[in-house]
Amino acid sequence: MFDSKVIRRRRAALAIFVVLSIGMLTVYFGESDGGAFHSVQRGAQAVFAPLETGASRALKPARDLFGWFGDTFDAKGENEDLRAEVEQLRRQLGVAETARHDVRELRALVGLTESQGYPEGTDPVGARVIVRSPTVWYSTLKIDKGSDDGVRRNQPVVAAGGLVGKITDVTGGTAEVTLITDSSSAVSAQVMPNGASGIVHPVVGDPNDLLLDYITKGRRVTEGTTVVTSGFESDGLESIFPRGIAIGRVTKVDPRETEQFQRVHVKPLADIRGIDYVQVLTERGVSTQAGVPLQ
Amino acid sequence: MRATPGAFARCGAIALVAVILQVSGLGSGRVFGAYVDLVPLAVAAVAIYAGAIPGAAMGFTTGLLLDLLVGGTMGASSLVLTAVGYGAGRYREVRDPAHGLMPIPVGAVATFTWVLAYAVVSFMLDVGATVSWLVVREIVATTILGAILALPVFAICRRVLRPVLLVDPLDLRRRRKAPLESGPIGLRGLGA
Repeated sequence: MFDSKVIRRRRAALAIFVVLSIGMLTVYFGESDGGAFHSVQRGAQAVFAPLETGASRALKPARDLFGWFGDTFDAKGENEDLRAEVEQLRRQLGVAETARHDVRELRALVGLTESQGYPEGTDPVGARVIVRSPTVWYSTLKIDKGSDDGVRRNQPVVAAGGLVGKITDVTGGTAEVTLITDSSSAVSAQVMPNGASGIVHPVVGDPNDLLLDYITKGRRVTEGTTVVTSGFESDGLESIFPRGIAIGRVTKVDPRETEQFQRVHVKPLADIRGIDYVQVLTERGVSTQAGVPLQ
Repeated sequence: MRATPGAFARCGAIALVAVILQVSGLGSGRVFGAYVDLVPLAVAAVAIYAGAIPGAAMGFTTGLLLDLLVGGTMGASSLVLTAVGYGAGRYREVRDPAHGLMPIPVGAVATFTWVLAYAVVSFMLDVGATVSWLVVREIVATTILGAILALPVFAICRRVLRPVLLVDPLDLRRRRKAPLESGPIGLRGLGA
């Protein structure tokens, strides 16, 4: 059907593209964050950011339409769940207010200073999501605020009151957020109110399920309790997440008979798939206040 | 396809529009658990209408653009999409498909190959966490959605590429269906 020249040319073209791809993969993994490919990537993201912002705004109605189908089916069950949650939260609020009052008095009694953690020590900068990871792995987002707005690497990112991820790359006007559902993510966390500590890992491919590992079997963890960042500080090592950012709620506890630790399933508070707006928790006093903080 | 500046510009425009639409919103729009993925459909469409070499080039370029804009591992998407484009182009060259519904199976196979192969590459490169079985369900659902969207995406790509195509597979089909001249008893050449 084809002469040998055509076949050779076709195979040569395929070989060139495959070799180029593998070469890029190899160099990208081998180089540091300041390497050539990473710099080109940052440059391209800065150049295309206005186009992506415009497209993101223009496509919002289409996104909402897609989401409407699923939301309509889920709405009734979700409404009942939310009513039950409001009742439970009202009960907890009374207990928490009393505890807060007692803590304040006890701190004053022993002369303990109040730590500047979350939310007191942070200055939230509101940002719009302009690019989403296009695969089933839900690993990254890009937002329309960057170093010009006071956003820096490793700052925590929250949405709907829950932890979403951290800033991993910044340009002048944009920043990359690596989500807590990314395979590389690990967050030190505590179950409240009993204080059992562990590490939250993702279950790749299921953005509604996180795993809280390294909880010893003796610690009792119940369904429905809240998991927050533990924000440890020890021997010069410090967690990038301040203490007290809510991550999610415990949905299931798996005791795992043959293991030393129990495995706790946690549903994130933030809707990782449907995020449109986030808040970057910049350090108080560092932000240029260019971004309008969300309430 | 003629290798002219116009052809490159048209393929580049298709790649850019597909990637921008994908990363800026359609990627997170979900219908019954599946997400819309235009990228493999655009690559397969160009490959089907233009052939294996333009298909592989389109796959490489689109993957590169995707990795640049998303901040993913550079080369991963290019590698997979090059294979998708080359495979679709070879299918066209070997089988010469001309059926009007041809985009549906081609779109489904291209989407399935892209999602599955990207998952495999991600596993091999850096996924060290537990992986949910929901990934399998999502791959199947996304493939079905890709098959549904293939007809309009292929039609748009064909319209954009038509002025630079040497041969349009769907035109071949139309020519084959043209009425034949025939005589009174249905045999050609026996007319009055």
